[in-house]
Amino acid sequence: MSEDAPLLVMRGIVKEFPGVRALDGVDLEVRAGEVHCLLGQNGAGKSTLIKILAGAQLPDKGTITLGGAQVRAANPTAAIRLGISTIYQELDLVDGLSAADNIFLGHEKASLGFTRRAESNRAARELLDRLGHGEIRPGGEVGRLSPAGKQVVSMARALSHDARLIIMDEPSAALSHDEVGNLFRIIRELTAQGVAVVYISHRLEEIREIGDRVTVLKDGRTAAVGLPAKDTPTSQIVSLMTGRNVEYVFPPRRTEPPGAEVLKVTDLVVPGVVSGVSFSVRAGEIVGLAGLVGSGRSEIVEAIYGARRASGRILLDGHAVRPGSTSRAVRLGMGLAPEERKAQALLLDQSVARNITLGGLERFSRFGWIDRRRELAEARTLAETLDIRPGDVRRPIKTLSGGNQQKAVLARWLVNGRKLLLLDEPTRGVDVGARAELYAVIRRLADEGIGVLLVSSEVPEVLGLADRVLVIREGAVVHEAAARDLDEHQVLDLVMATSTGGFR
Amino acid sequence: MTAGTVDERVADTGRLRRMLIRPELGAVVGAIVVFAFFASQSATFRSVDGVANWLDPASTLGIMAVAVALLMIGGEFNLSAGVLTGTTGLILVTLATRFGWNVWAAMLAGLAVALLVGFLNGLIVVRTRLPSFIVTLGTFLMLQGINLGVTKALTGTVQVSGLRRADGFESARAVLADSVTIGGTGFRVAILWWIAVTVLATWVLMRTRAGNWIFAVGGDDRAARAVGVPAERTKILLFMTTAGAAWLVGSILALRFTSVQANAGLGQEFIYIIAAVIGGCLLTGGYGSAVGAAIGAVIFGMADKGIVFAGWDADWFKFFLGAMLLLATLANRLVRRYAEEVRH
Repeated sequence: MSEDAPLLVMRGIVKEFPGVRALDGVDLEVRAGEVHCLLGQNGAGKSTLIKILAGAQLPDKGTITLGGAQVRAANPTAAIRLGISTIYQELDLVDGLSAADNIFLGHEKASLGFTRRAESNRAARELLDRLGHGEIRPGGEVGRLSPAGKQVVSMARALSHDARLIIMDEPSAALSHDEVGNLFRIIRELTAQGVAVVYISHRLEEIREIGDRVTVLKDGRTAAVGLPAKDTPTSQIVSLMTGRNVEYVFPPRRTEPPGAEVLKVTDLVVPGVVSGVSFSVRAGEIVGLAGLVGSGRSEIVEAIYGARRASGRILLDGHAVRPGSTSRAVRLGMGLAPEERKAQALLLDQSVARNITLGGLERFSRFGWIDRRRELAEARTLAETLDIRPGDVRRPIKTLSGGNQQKAVLARWLVNGRKLLLLDEPTRGVDVGARAELYAVIRRLADEGIGVLLVSSEVPEVLGLADRVLVIREGAVVHEAAARDLDEHQVLDLVMATSTGGFR
Repeated sequence: MTAGTVDERVADTGRLRRMLIRPELGAVVGAIVVFAFFASQSATFRSVDGVANWLDPASTLGIMAVAVALLMIGGEFNLSAGVLTGTTGLILVTLATRFGWNVWAAMLAGLAVALLVGFLNGLIVVRTRLPSFIVTLGTFLMLQGINLGVTKALTGTVQVSGLRRADGFESARAVLADSVTIGGTGFRVAILWWIAVTVLATWVLMRTRAGNWIFAVGGDDRAARAVGVPAERTKILLFMTTAGAAWLVGSILALRFTSVQANAGLGQEFIYIIAAVIGGCLLTGGYGSAVGAAIGAVIFGMADKGIVFAGWDADWFKFFLGAMLLLATLANRLVRRYAEEVRH
């Protein structure tokens, strides 16, 4: 292979999931010995692209060329054989096996089927030492390691293959500052040996430090290929990430001032995650929390709902919410549309009607018998109000699209009048087209006098839908302003800067 | 994530602690308690003859329990294993007595059928992704029907017998179903087979690639596949291993009694699982040990014979077994919880 021919070329990669086109013609070019950074907002298609490279998913269209030859990684083993190692963000280690066994799982050091334990322990020891973590015992069970320790074992596993290309999906997320320095040292060693690294991170200053070139993804397409990582202006990168092809349509904000205070949070502390957050939500107002995954925004919502132990004062309409008691939160008039909709909010095999009335079954029951006719009638009315489609509420809810499922979750809380709705990533898995309807529903709920607390990783959504925005970073509110006084650049700047001094 | 993640790494748990958190701890303690209990009740129980006596049921059960434990560590169940011991025994006796086959040839035929059943069980499980509980419940019932139907069609009764007169019986019996005299006491050869199977299984689990794969597919199937573990092959081979063990036990019992009932092995499938669970296997897979399952079988053997030695009503045996299962699993859980706390 000649020096300047790229090691990896991906052309026109398309991947569709039911209802969503995750990748819509992505191009990527990675040279041997470079750190190639992949940037993009949540939902831009980074994870899907990685999964295709790692052989976990097959592209619908497009070509992948590695080292000059067209390849097809039909499964993870094939990708590993091609020399592509992946360090996933969600760690995939087997807890019951030792560190050494995990590192060499699938390519054990063995002769005639027998593992050469001493040799694999020694090799694991070398890899861990090289990563600067000599204190991790190769024979120790992985289940007993901290997340950072597991990250190191994952990394050692990637190194144990003689990889030509290593993909690192937010490797620094679980690491402390010193450990990130260590990681960068390893990356430099690898690239010096000609290994290419695809590096994914939300932290721009890391990309400045370790990256050579940057590819920006946006809405499943490549927005820019191979920009120099060191000297492309931040403003250019951010505008490449944010400029959209799809325009969101947001309902108009209400003009009259919001009503009385519904929720008052004072000095909320979740140990290790949230450090002293105070804010309030008024009736008829939508307050947005903007922040990255891991910034503490979901924990704030869970603490308010009573699903997580926390200290501080949480008042709903003047009544204290007891930490750890979700049923009290519900009695006081809170409703939650959780992030993991399918797992935490829906009975997938049950009808739409049953999913809607679930929160208020006592209203339709007498002496323990449920009045089906009244239940159905009420569900129909709500389905009509929120325009849930298809309109037949007796269908199993799993047959509905994501957007309509989410409407059913919202309808549930309307069965017995709520004062405050907590929405965690309400448009996750919802088609871009269907989002506008959901936004309109949320706005209408607010107009009826409900306070809404909205969490979203998508900055435009927070800015477009909320009246007021709190920017959360590392467990603290770093900025608060009316949504109309903020723009996407400002907010992205704020959420991505780190406490070590920003990236300007 | 806040900066400065607390530096909690592998705690050096110390030799004693590491020994205590082995999966078979509950079974070892249980075995000691049960032995002490019956030994205090009956002098015969603690004599060498007594030991040889209760090791006998432990051995045939133990061969199966060890194989089933491997499968459970790999994250699957096999409910058809008990009936399969009957099927292989019936094949052996039928071919040798009705069709004049040499006993060794008839045993080979039984092995082929057993491995085929195991292969099909495994193939259906990995291809359809149906729970193995359901798949093997299906094969369990089908085999039960075949055992009874074919036996009745051939003999008009519900058993086949007369293996003693078949060619090669003596040599086969010597290898699988005889006794060896050690210090004046006759021990069943099956005990040696049981020890061999346990040693082999432990070796595979602890010292071979396949052992790593078994823990990996049972512990986290998705992660195992992602790093290139041949998960499907591993699981199919595990089903074939339990089937192979069923053939071994079926042959041992057929040679010992020279006749086989059509309902042989029925109801044993849960006993195997119980022994494996007492031995520290988790129903969820990814954890357990072969030695533990073997000790679980010892507890079973001691209870089975001990109740008789102590002069009690044998009807109480099942009650005893149930209590043992609950206590041993509770002990195992405490151990696991303790092991998890050590990490903090």
